[in-house]
Amino acid sequence: MKKLGRYETDRVGYVMVLPYIIFFLIFVGYPLIFSFILVFHKWNIISPMKFAGLYNFNFLLHDPLFWKSLRNTLTFLIIHIPLQIIVALVIANILNQKIIARGFFRASFFLPVVISGVVITILWQQFYSFETGLFNTILSRINIAKIPWLIDTKFAMPSIAIMATWKNVGLYIVLFLAGLQAIPSSIYEAADVDGASGVQKFFYITIPMLNPTMIMVLILSTLGGFSLFIEPYVMTGGGPINSTLSCVLYIYKQAFYFNHMGYAATLAFAVAFIIMIVVIIQRKLFETEVYA
Amino acid sequence: MSRIPLITVLLLLLNITLLGRGKIIRLTYWPSSNPYEIDLAKNIVGEWNRTHPDIQVIMQPLPASQSSEEVLLTAVAARTTPDICSNIWPGVVEEFAEANALVALDKFKDFQDVVLSRMSSDILTNFISRDGHYYQMPWKGNPIMMEYNVRLFREAGITEPPRTYSEFMEDAKKLTKDTDGDGSVDQWIGVINVNPVWWHRFFDFYAFYIAASGGRTLFKNGEVDFDNEYAVGVFRFLQEGFKKGYFPRGSLQGSQFLLENIAVQFVGPWDIAYLEKYKHEGFEYDFAPLPVPDGTPEPILTYSDPKNIVIFATTKHPEEAWEFVKFLISKESDLKLLKFTSQIPFRKDLETDSTYKEYFEENPKVIKFARQISYTRGSDNVTQLKEVFDVIAQAFEYSVIYGMQEPRESVMNAAETVRRILRR
Repeated sequence: MKKLGRYETDRVGYVMVLPYIIFFLIFVGYPLIFSFILVFHKWNIISPMKFAGLYNFNFLLHDPLFWKSLRNTLTFLIIHIPLQIIVALVIANILNQKIIARGFFRASFFLPVVISGVVITILWQQFYSFETGLFNTILSRINIAKIPWLIDTKFAMPSIAIMATWKNVGLYIVLFLAGLQAIPSSIYEAADVDGASGVQKFFYITIPMLNPTMIMVLILSTLGGFSLFIEPYVMTGGGPINSTLSCVLYIYKQAFYFNHMGYAATLAFAVAFIIMIVVIIQRKLFETEVYA
Repeated sequence: MSRIPLITVLLLLLNITLLGRGKIIRLTYWPSSNPYEIDLAKNIVGEWNRTHPDIQVIMQPLPASQSSEEVLLTAVAARTTPDICSNIWPGVVEEFAEANALVALDKFKDFQDVVLSRMSSDILTNFISRDGHYYQMPWKGNPIMMEYNVRLFREAGITEPPRTYSEFMEDAKKLTKDTDGDGSVDQWIGVINVNPVWWHRFFDFYAFYIAASGGRTLFKNGEVDFDNEYAVGVFRFLQEGFKKGYFPRGSLQGSQFLLENIAVQFVGPWDIAYLEKYKHEGFEYDFAPLPVPDGTPEPILTYSDPKNIVIFATTKHPEEAWEFVKFLISKESDLKLLKFTSQIPFRKDLETDSTYKEYFEENPKVIKFARQISYTRGSDNVTQLKEVFDVIAQAFEYSVIYGMQEPRESVMNAAETVRRILRR
């Protein structure tokens, strides 16, 4: 067989990665650069762009709805992330034991992840319906007052967070399961010899050893949380009284309802910057080295 | 040897000449993508293509999306617009016209004759653009009226549909109740969509505002004109309905009117085709004008929910496209529009022209909409109309649905916010 020279090898390599590079340039590089240019312009898609300098930044700083959408998104994250991690961890631990029909349960918990978000949202919208929903019908039957799940500013975002947890938890269960199975059994055996209880093993072995998975789940949940869109878009339209208006829904409204492309791009960059800050803080606070 | 290429060249030239002589002009036409209108478009285009072999129209339903406006916006930006489109909401026309995306129809010599032979000048003036040109051919409207369940009204001892706000509230008290005795209300007078999305407000606040004010729209000479008693009255009326529980705050799935869980709804004639298809035996319904403040003089006006026809500036054949537009609004095509979709053409002679007599005899419910179409208003030609309605939707949610602000304060704040948007 003929051996390829160094430059020939390089050429073959470049050809091999060319499809990805083309894809990246068209669908990531170009939109990113174009969005950055848009930040300094006013543009309604069909008329020529008008240079606006720092107008969009100034408008953002004084736009109460943007700050409201940011607070709403953070509220969602504060409820959703801990809830998701705790539920995923508990279920992953149970599914890591030798229980009956383990494969069935593992698949069942993953099922909502692969079902369309819109379908799940419409389904839960019916569960949450104040007058005729399943949850309130059950509450009425047991003489408990109906809960205004989606029509009260206090309940709407937590209700969406519960639904989002139900939908996404399957993915994090799988990640935790993989993390749990990577913990060497010898550590648990050593703990058994030392007389550690189940709870002690969980808090002193399982949790620290799962730290890399935990960080990954934390970052993925944060990114997913900041992308909150389908649920409020379908269920509430951002209401009641803008209490479920998420950052991405607000960006969408500015871009596609009102055609403020320049302002929407500014909002998108601001949100991306905030996500970066939040992820850096999370890593600083929670990341520790694991010795296995 | 030299003969062969010569013959080939001659044949080629002959072929090109023949092709040139028989050149067929092709126009692309986008109708709405709902099944009734696709059937209508197929029928009309089929007829056109049979009678116009030199100008062939290719029908493509509007590509699917959240709304027609999004698709059209993308098409305008990408310059992939069709020659003709017949599902244009007038709210976007101003924006498209400013971007030079549309052909001014009044540049065609016979525009005035064609349009005024079909509709009244009163309705036509709704659609003039700010630069004084007409970029849209008014095509059809869906006047918003009150649809009511005759049986529920009769069983509640009500003989006539409510004409005024006070009559509506009296009827609402009788019709909102717990029918199965489980302690929860399961029948309401009606449903108002609580989703704070801007376009929902066309079918409640805006229609009621036009009715109450005798035909005012939101702007007058480009200035905000809805900070008045009529708008406050509509907010107060609907707010009372929510406060007293006559309208549910939650979202109910499915057609609650068909399920007989609500006694009235505010809809256009499109609902007739739906109800006729799915109604159960004994289901009785009828239509009446929207309720108005006590003492409002007749006739009662309403929102027309218009959809119009435009020719896009990308067309290479504007004259031929104009001929097709005229075909779309001919007497025969308007009859087909009624038959296929139950939607009302903007035509002043619907009741008098013999072309439509048989149709209305067979479909007596539609005639109420045909009468109402002459008493309608469209929307204002304001570029920021969606933002304006978003502001109203926010105020509506805050004040009407959740009762967190006095109607007057809410309307005045909304008007002030709209003024700020217009200045921006």
